[in-house]
Order: sequence, then structure tokens, then C-alpha cells
Amino acid sequence: MSLGILVLAVLILAAAGFLAGRRRAISSAGGDPRRLHSLPGHYGQFAALLTAVPALALLAVWLMAQPMVIEQRVASLLPAGDASTSSLVMADVRRISTGLQRLAVTDGLSPRDVAGLSPEGLAPRLRAVGVAVTSMGPETLAAARAHRDLQDRLGFWMVVSVLATSAAGLGLALARIRPDFRARNTTERFVMVILIAASLVAVATTVGIVMSLLFETMNFFRLYPAQDFFLSLTWNPQFRGGSDLGIWPLLWGTMYISFIALLVAVPIGLLTAIYLAEYAGARARSWAKPAIEILAGIPTIVYGLFALVTVGPALRDWFAQPLGLGASSSSVMTAGLVMGIMLIPFISSLSDDIINAVPQSLRDGSYGLGATHSETVKQVILPAALPGIVGAILLGASRAIGETMIVVLGAGAAAKLSLNPFEAMTTVTVKIVSQLTGDTEFASPETLVAFALGLTLFAITLVLNVIALFIVRKYREQYE
Amino acid sequence: MDDIRYAERVVSAAEVKIAASRVQVFYGLNHALKDVDVEILGKTVTAFIGPSGCGKSTFLRCLNRMNDTIPGCRIEGRITLDGHDIYDPRVDPVQLRAKVGMVFQKPNPFPKSIYDNVAYGPRIHGLARSKAEIDEIVETALRRAALWEEVKDRLAAPGTGLSGGQQQRLCIARAIATSPEVLLMDEPCSALDPIATAQIEELIDELRTQFSVVIVTHSMQQAARVSQRTAFFHLGRLVEYGETGQIFTNPHDPRTESYISGRIG
Repeated sequence: MSLGILVLAVLILAAAGFLAGRRRAISSAGGDPRRLHSLPGHYGQFAALLTAVPALALLAVWLMAQPMVIEQRVASLLPAGDASTSSLVMADVRRISTGLQRLAVTDGLSPRDVAGLSPEGLAPRLRAVGVAVTSMGPETLAAARAHRDLQDRLGFWMVVSVLATSAAGLGLALARIRPDFRARNTTERFVMVILIAASLVAVATTVGIVMSLLFETMNFFRLYPAQDFFLSLTWNPQFRGGSDLGIWPLLWGTMYISFIALLVAVPIGLLTAIYLAEYAGARARSWAKPAIEILAGIPTIVYGLFALVTVGPALRDWFAQPLGLGASSSSVMTAGLVMGIMLIPFISSLSDDIINAVPQSLRDGSYGLGATHSETVKQVILPAALPGIVGAILLGASRAIGETMIVVLGAGAAAKLSLNPFEAMTTVTVKIVSQLTGDTEFASPETLVAFALGLTLFAITLVLNVIALFIVRKYREQYE
Repeated sequence: MDDIRYAERVVSAAEVKIAASRVQVFYGLNHALKDVDVEILGKTVTAFIGPSGCGKSTFLRCLNRMNDTIPGCRIEGRITLDGHDIYDPRVDPVQLRAKVGMVFQKPNPFPKSIYDNVAYGPRIHGLARSKAEIDEIVETALRRAALWEEVKDRLAAPGTGLSGGQQQRLCIARAIATSPEVLLMDEPCSALDPIATAQIEELIDELRTQFSVVIVTHSMQQAARVSQRTAFFHLGRLVEYGETGQIFTNPHDPRTESYISGRIG
């Protein structure tokens, strides 16, 4: 029985549970729903939830645990080897097992036929059903057979136990339904548990990401001294070994480009937001706002192309070369400008919402005292909206720091510490990509450094977000 | 109410401060105010009463052109302040509002310190040449709004941290700091408790010595307590306008009488 059908079966059972629960509740009250503690639908919901949720939870756990159990069992059949070869052999075992399964279906083989298959001549037959196998010894085949048997058996028991859980839930629910049973409260609690579980997914994912970064970073620091990483001013990875992996040139590039981006985006975005929220009429707003938001929908790689083809050469020809500041079309300035344009809709749209949220009574109060429009904006509306605007700017900063594609195409890939904005530099994110590109194992400091860079980046954006939250909270206390 | 003493009211100042004749207000197609004629006297408290939606707040907002900020609002007729038409194209509404101050229904202190709230008007109108002068204006305004004693030690604290009644007095102080000639109050006590209301009412009575005060109120007791003249609005028309004592004890129009005795509204 395939997974989809199993889930469908559970859901059908749950639907039946809903109807049965409702019917039972009404009949237990002698046909008068008013004698029930809760609405008949609540009893139905209770029965449906108890039928579906534990069964589906069991299914999820089973699906996660089953491959682990099988591989552990099968591994004991295989000759011992080191970690990387045995993982290759295990991959073969899994492929052969899939192939046997397909052969059994296409050629109509009975279980005894499958058991009698010999390694010779099996590879072409497997290839015919779309499974390519590199090496096949008798042990591998035996392991694959065991793999397939276990999978079949466990799959069968999974179906049985899930359906049994579902049916047991249904029975339990029906047995508990009585007129004074508080189905409404129970479903409420059930719903709350589901909501908590959903939010835990996000939290758990964050924890998982941080953990994986942390472990790999610790591996990196075992191979490469931490003080060199944090204090060295050169970035010069050598895949032969003996590289300099100082973070400062990358961090400097990141900060420099983000700073220029914010220098472009904050004034333009903020003034746009003020115009849209305070001055624009309904008609101007109705076309200007979507037009600006189109900017937000452009993929960053397209911005990168714009930087590469248009902005970079223009800056080089009109500013860098005449001023004698450099001859490179990829520069901090190019990436910063284009990234700034990318951030404009981000900042303007958030600030626009925030300015609109300032109560009209404050505007009235200011006009009532004879203030002009711009005085009102400057002295009343912007101070009231400040915490939100600061939050918007810091969110924009986080995006700028994490941006990769525009930097790759606009600023180049040279890790350099320089003050000249017309020189090519690069950022942390670009180097993470370039260190991980290519077919290397995660064993050398040159690749593991990517995780240390990632963790540093994460720490920086985390600090920025904390500062943003702090500012917002501090001023909110004052203003509301 | 025992403390309503209509007979003791004396309307001393007789000069006309604001004169409105045949004022019509339209919100889009909705004819909100029809043919209103009112003469508001200087150094007098004038109360506008009437059921919700009768146009009294609309008319109040015509007097300092606050309706200009509402899209789709059109005003016809003539309103003069000291004999000058305030809807004349040469009149700058911004300057008009400095002369005709306004206090709103809900206290709306700016997100600034108490001091900066009061200093806001004098600063934007350039009424003071030095910091000391602003200090003085702020203190006078806060004293006149009967708030000085409560806030003099925390002028740098945010105005939004005050209680509701204090906030409303702060808004009154803010309005009188620009030394207006007329003070418009749109239901200034409707968000306040009885004690804060009593304080504001007392304050209004004192303000009468310097300004002409126009107050919109839903409470007939309040109108009777604080005002010398009362205008009754109903369905966008001015029904009756006269001395407060006369309106409350001997109304000429049967609609006024019905409203005051609680039969309509």
C-alpha cells in the first residue's frame, strides 16, 4: 500500500469519525442537541482529531526511523570498511534493492525467483529497469535482498500499525462521547497543541541550522587557529594547503558595500515613503506604489546583470578613470549602488506602512496649531514613526549583508582591504559560495572556513536584529 | 444639576468675533450643513449641542479650515474673523489656524516631551527669540491650563505618559501657547472621567477672560455649566441660537425643547 493511499485512508477514517462522533453525541443526548455540553460538531471534530493526528504522527516518526533501522541491520551483513567506502557500498545496496523491486514488478518474479537470482547477468537486467550499478558482489546482492525484505516487512507493519492507531483513536473517542463530555474544551486544547507544534518547526529549524554551523565551525577551528581567522588581514586560500584565511578583508567588503547600499536606499526610500504616505493623492498612490514594488520583485541576479553591464562600465568611464581612481568596472561602488536600488522598495514600502499607522489625530493636532505640511511630517510624524523606520532600515541592512549575486557580478571576487570605492572587493557571502564550489570534501580548512564565515555572518545579522528590536521597544515605551 | 445658575450669566463682551452666514458644507454629494448663520462673540464661551451627526463638529472645523484637509469637502457661504473672510484666497489657512486654535476629542499629545509639546506652536510660528522666552511661554501656558504644578518637575518626560485628563490639559496648553484669539474645542471631555472633566470645565471658564471659546459637546449639562451662549444643531441645520439660559429654560423652537428634555437625539 503506497504512502498516499495510506494517508488517504486515515483521512477517510477521520471523516467517518467526524460523522460517527456527531451522530453518537446527538443520540447520547436523546436527539436533543441542547442537552449536550458542546455543539454536535465539536464532538465530531474531537473524534476526527483523535482518529487522524496520532496515526499521522506515528506515520511521520516511522518514516523517519525506518531507513535508519534498515541500514543498521543491513550494514552488519556487509564486510567492515572505512566510513567513506561503506557509505558507497550502502548506496549500491539501496540502488540494487530498488532495482530488485522494479524487476519483481516488471518481470512478475515471485519471491522465490528473487531469492534465486545470481549476481552474474543481473547488472544488464537492472540497467533495463533504469538502475545503474557499478559493482556487485555476492555480499552486496545478499545485503540488497535483505534490504528489500526488511523494507517490505516494515512497510507492511507500518500500514498495519498506522491503521490500528487510527481505529483505536476512533474507538477511544466514540467511547468517551457522553452528553457531559467537554468536547469544545478538548478540541480547543488539541488545536492549541497543533499550533504550538507548527511554530516549533520554525524554532527547531533555526536551532538545527545554528547547530550544524556550529559543529562545522568547531571542526574548522580544530584545523585552523581561531586567532588567525579573526585577526589576520589577508585572505588567500590555497587548495594545496597553507592558506591565509583572515576574515577582515571579506568583512570589510561586506560592510563597505552594505554601507553604500544603505546610503543610497535610506534617503531615497524614506523620502519616497513620505511622499506616498503624506502627499500623494489616491490616484498617484494607486500606480506609484505597485510600480515601486515591481522593483522588489526583480530577482537579484537581474540586478547583478544590470550592475555588470550598465552601472559598472558607466562608473568606470565617467568617474573612476577620469578621477584616476581605478580601471575596474567591478567595484564596491557599482555593487553598493545597485544593491541600494534593490533595497529602495524594501525600505519605502515598510516605512510607508509605518507612517500610515501614525494616528490621524496627531496630524490634526499639528495642523490645528497652524503647522504646515512639512513641519508636521518633520516634527510630529517622523518622530512618531521613528522606531518602525529604524527597524525597517536595520532589516534592509540585514538583507544587504546577506546579498550575494549583486556582489558577484558587481564587485568582483578579489578580497582586498582598501578605502577606494572604485576598487573591486568582495564579501563574506561570495567567498562562502566560491569556497564550496567544486568537488571537494568537507575536510580541509579551505572548505570548512565557509561554515565559520556563515556563522560570523549569522552572528552579525543577529546582533543587528537584536539592536533593531531593542530600539523599537525602547521608543515604543516612550511613544505609546 | 444644582449648580446650573443660568441667571447669573452675564455676557459682557458684545463685539462679534466670528460671523458665519449661509454656510453650506458638502462631503462629496452629501449636504452635511445647510444655511448656518451664527455670530460668535469675543470673550464668551459658545456651546454647540445636538445629536450625533447633526453637523456641529463639521461647522466647528469650518471655523479654522480644518475641513481643508479632508478630500472631497466643499464649503460655501461666508465666514469672517474680525470682519475678514477666512475663505478668501489670500488667507493662508496655516496662519489662520495659529489664530484659531483647536483642541480635539481625544487627547493627542505629540510623541515628544511635555516641554516640546507646548513649545511646538511657538517654535513653528517664531513667537520667541530666545530659549528663555520659550521657557516663559511654556510655563505661562501650562499654568493657565492648570497643569504646571503637576508637571513642573518632569517637563522632559514624554507627554504621552500623562493621564488622560492631564494629556487633554496638555493639549489645551499647547493650543493656548500660540496665543490664539479663538479656541475651538471638539468634545474635549468625552474621553475623560468626571474629575478630569470638572477640571477642564473650570479651565474653560477661566480661559474666557482671554479668548473666545467654542465648544462642541454631547453633554447638555456641560453646555449649561460652561457656556454663555448655546447653538442647537439638528440634521445639518442650526435650529436655535441664543443665550444659554434662554435655550435651556425657554427654548423657542419645539425641536430644541424636545432635544433638551430628551425626546429626540
